Amino acid sequence: MKSESPLYYPVFAPGARYRWDEVRQQHQIVFPEGVLVLNESAAAVVRLCDGRSTEDVIVALREQIGDADPSRDVREFLDRLAKKGLLRDGDS
Amino acid sequence: METPNPYSLLAELTYRCPLQCPYCSNPLELNRFRTELDTVVWHRVLDEAARLGVVQVHFSGGEPLLRRDLTDLVRTARQLDLYSHLSTSGLGADQARLASLRDAGLDALQISLQDSRPHENDWLAGVPSFEKKRRAIESAKRLELPVTLNIVLHRHNLDRIDELIDLACRWNVDKLELAHAQYGGWAFRNRAALLPTEQQVGRAAEVVADARDRLIDNLEIVHVLPDYFQQFPKACLHGWGRVFLTVAPDGAVLPCQTAREIPGLVFPNVKDTSLEEIWFHAPVFQRFRGTDWLPEPCRSCDRREIDFGGCRCQAFLLTGDVAATDPVCHLAPQHGVVEEALNEAANQSTDLRFRVFAS
Repeated sequence: MKSESPLYYPVFAPGARYRWDEVRQQHQIVFPEGVLVLNESAAAVVRLCDGRSTEDVIVALREQIGDADPSRDVREFLDRLAKKGLLRDGDS
Repeated sequence: METPNPYSLLAELTYRCPLQCPYCSNPLELNRFRTELDTVVWHRVLDEAARLGVVQVHFSGGEPLLRRDLTDLVRTARQLDLYSHLSTSGLGADQARLASLRDAGLDALQISLQDSRPHENDWLAGVPSFEKKRRAIESAKRLELPVTLNIVLHRHNLDRIDELIDLACRWNVDKLELAHAQYGGWAFRNRAALLPTEQQVGRAAEVVADARDRLIDNLEIVHVLPDYFQQFPKACLHGWGRVFLTVAPDGAVLPCQTAREIPGLVFPNVKDTSLEEIWFHAPVFQRFRGTDWLPEPCRSCDRREIDFGGCRCQAFLLTGDVAATDPVCHLAPQHGVVEEALNEAANQSTDLRFRVFAS
């Protein structure tokens, strides 16, 4: 079952998780029969999806990257992952 | 072209299985391959696979739950940060066993079903199993394991595809894989009794398309079409020795799980050689890697990087030449044999021969 968006407390859906691929030097989300390769900024977002709120994810990212406001990009990205069934709402 | 590292390991832990499906992908000559790797060697195989760049390991068989060391192997896979799948008949997948597998780090589960109705399911499986499969799925969902329900399609169940989809919804699975039988191995032996008609295939495709629209937010449906009815062959394995490798129960390393039915190929064994050495250097992995080996009309075809000439096992089974263009391609010189097979199946009624593993 896919989550409704927007996500308030994004966490990985059952069967999906983040991993670092040492051989390929890649960030990945792995899920049943699939691998999604992430760039550095996408990896920074999903690694914060540990049960904290979307607001707190954005605050933490802002601290990491300085003054730019990532909130729109982050919400869109989280939505996309939810539509793929990789994230769900941890509070629902 | 540089040889890429493999993403996926099919770990066939055993060819033993309580079911007798007449389209099993295990070798016809099961009795020739009765020895099984021990736990220590499997641990080494997993470790070598992880170092080689494998991301996902599929514990399969036969019925992998018949191996008492399965939980141990799943735990090792997780420690190596491999993503682990279990492909099971559902027999032996009770709540306690599944809980121990999940706690050891199992990521996802695939359960087979033979038909939407208990009696028909049990006839195809050769043993009473429908109710056990239903309960296994219920337990897996309770444990929050993602479940794919996998159904092999053929003449005898294809007209119940709507019932199969309804069942997947009722059982609340995460993904439904509707895969037409691939006509190698046992399915090739039973081809005349399994091949559907073109009308059946067409109607089923409409039902699936409609269900996909209707269930877009609830159920992911994968529909693997029957290549005998397609214009072009499948990109078997996404290319030979490119993404996948299989370790068979006795330790033989195969580019494809059914490659054993091609005579003359020599398969190295993990007992003698490392997976890395085999993947990059074994002649059997080099033989059909890339596109240099391709015959015409593949060699000059725009699709050569899409389907890599199709399935090698099928080329051998249908033409006797392992390096021929897969005859399901409408451009293949020997495409006529596929049309003959379809005609033969349409005009004959043949009994199914069930898989047996004589003891």
